[in-house]
Amino acid sequence: MNERFLKRYSFHITANDFMNAGKGSSSIKNLLKSMEIDAIIIRKIAIVSYEAEINIVIHSFGGELHCDLYDDKIVIVSEDVGPGIEDVDLALTEGYSTAPESIRELGFGAGMGLPNIIKYSDDFNIATGNDGTVIKITFLM
Amino acid sequence: MNFSIMFDKEKCKGCTNCMKRCPTQAIRLIDGKASINNFKCIHCGECIKVCPYGAYTPESIEWYEEMHFSSYKYKIAILSTPLYGQFPKGTDICKVQNAVLRLGFDYAYDASWAAEMVSMGIKKKIDEEKNIRPFISTNCPAAVRLIKKRYPSLMDNLILLKEPMVIAATLARARAKEKFNYKDEEIGVFYISPCPAKLLAVTDPVGDFVPCVDWVIPLNTIYGEIYREIIKGEDKLCLYPSLKGLKWAVSSGQSESAELTNYIAVNGMENIIQILDEIENGNLNNVDFVETLACVQGCVGGTFNVINPFIAQSNINYILNNTENVGLNEEMEKFEEMYESGLFRFSLKQDENSGKFNMKEAIIKEEKIKEIYDALPRLDCGSCGAPTCYAHAEDVYNHESTLYDCVVLRANKKE
Repeated sequence: MNERFLKRYSFHITANDFMNAGKGSSSIKNLLKSMEIDAIIIRKIAIVSYEAEINIVIHSFGGELHCDLYDDKIVIVSEDVGPGIEDVDLALTEGYSTAPESIRELGFGAGMGLPNIIKYSDDFNIATGNDGTVIKITFLM
Repeated sequence: MNFSIMFDKEKCKGCTNCMKRCPTQAIRLIDGKASINNFKCIHCGECIKVCPYGAYTPESIEWYEEMHFSSYKYKIAILSTPLYGQFPKGTDICKVQNAVLRLGFDYAYDASWAAEMVSMGIKKKIDEEKNIRPFISTNCPAAVRLIKKRYPSLMDNLILLKEPMVIAATLARARAKEKFNYKDEEIGVFYISPCPAKLLAVTDPVGDFVPCVDWVIPLNTIYGEIYREIIKGEDKLCLYPSLKGLKWAVSSGQSESAELTNYIAVNGMENIIQILDEIENGNLNNVDFVETLACVQGCVGGTFNVINPFIAQSNINYILNNTENVGLNEEMEKFEEMYESGLFRFSLKQDENSGKFNMKEAIIKEEKIKEIYDALPRLDCGSCGAPTCYAHAEDVYNHESTLYDCVVLRANKKE
């Protein structure tokens, strides 16, 4: 197994900016498409990076979405500054959401963010504290 | 017969309209004239619609000669659902059918019946297979090919039901064999088409089936003859269309005909692209069916149609509201049996694999294109002959163009 790190592509995500929410993950998707990465993997990454991006927009003060390319895998890293996740186990439960009503009215915050991320990824890693959250999501090629 | 769009170089002024509107970026200007990359073209007909100089025209088959001088003993015309909307409001359906027959056909099969059956298939598949959401319709060949080229990950969402044209051709052919004992080669099936994409669907189907259609006649090339026969008009009995199936002529008609409640009907290439992006992001997993039609308002907006799509839609609505549902088609009763036998479903043809993927090489390629792109002005003016600066960068990388085909770079160089 060759796990050589090759390149990182980064996209800045602004908190509470619902007009532009989705542009970071869309850029990642288009990048991977132009690189002719396998369509099935792109589909999973599109869903997961979109969920991660929306999480940053809703729950944090802003952050970065990274797409790390390795020889044999792609890792999406979501890094935000914010209050962190109080109860990680609860956040991983389908349907559990801390999103306020005003955000749910926009059609977000259904409590499927993290559960979906786990469902579509090959490996999932989360580190959270009261200054922010880092999520690493791995897709094997 | 494998390309449905003819291009007249003399008429092309090199204006870039078609190049900029092409949804798969299949057009480049070479020496000031448009040139289509057949491999990328999805036959949506957008270029025919936007060209101000009429440089693109439908490939006009000599249908009359094909019909009368070939070996066909039994000639079938398939009437597409948008056809009835192409004549003045209130034109009798029977007159249209009889007019087509008088052009020399032995039988006219109304595709609306096939459309109603496909609707039943859509409903069945949505009810039975709940693990795929949303299903995406497979009626519009241009939309299906857009997905194949730009959204390959969504191929799994295609509902994989044959289009009414194919079902109509299959049933009409089977009827001729059964009733009159004709052999396959003695039967000629002619589809009167609202759009160029149907021709591609016949010559190069995405599925593993035989389309059963021999010739696709662009509606506009036969319109005058039909119209003249309508005016002569003798009233004879005819096979009434399925009013349910007739809705397929218009966007959202498939879903309404299938009696769906949770669907999205999207038409027009740019709108389709937005919805496909949403599906890719996983935002529409709670929708049963997405009906994608490349032309504005649906098939009534097809490039080979003669009447404005909105007027044609109004004409179709008039028929729906003013026709008694007297139509009967004996084949409808056999739907279950035909569905179970696999008549409607199909599998995708497998494309050969493009070889082993190498991440390192993909990154190097991406970086080189980015480097070229960074040197370009990002005006997307199209003067170089590519639709965007990024497309130009890709062309330069592929040695199909040079950096100094860019007029801005050339002007700056001189200074």
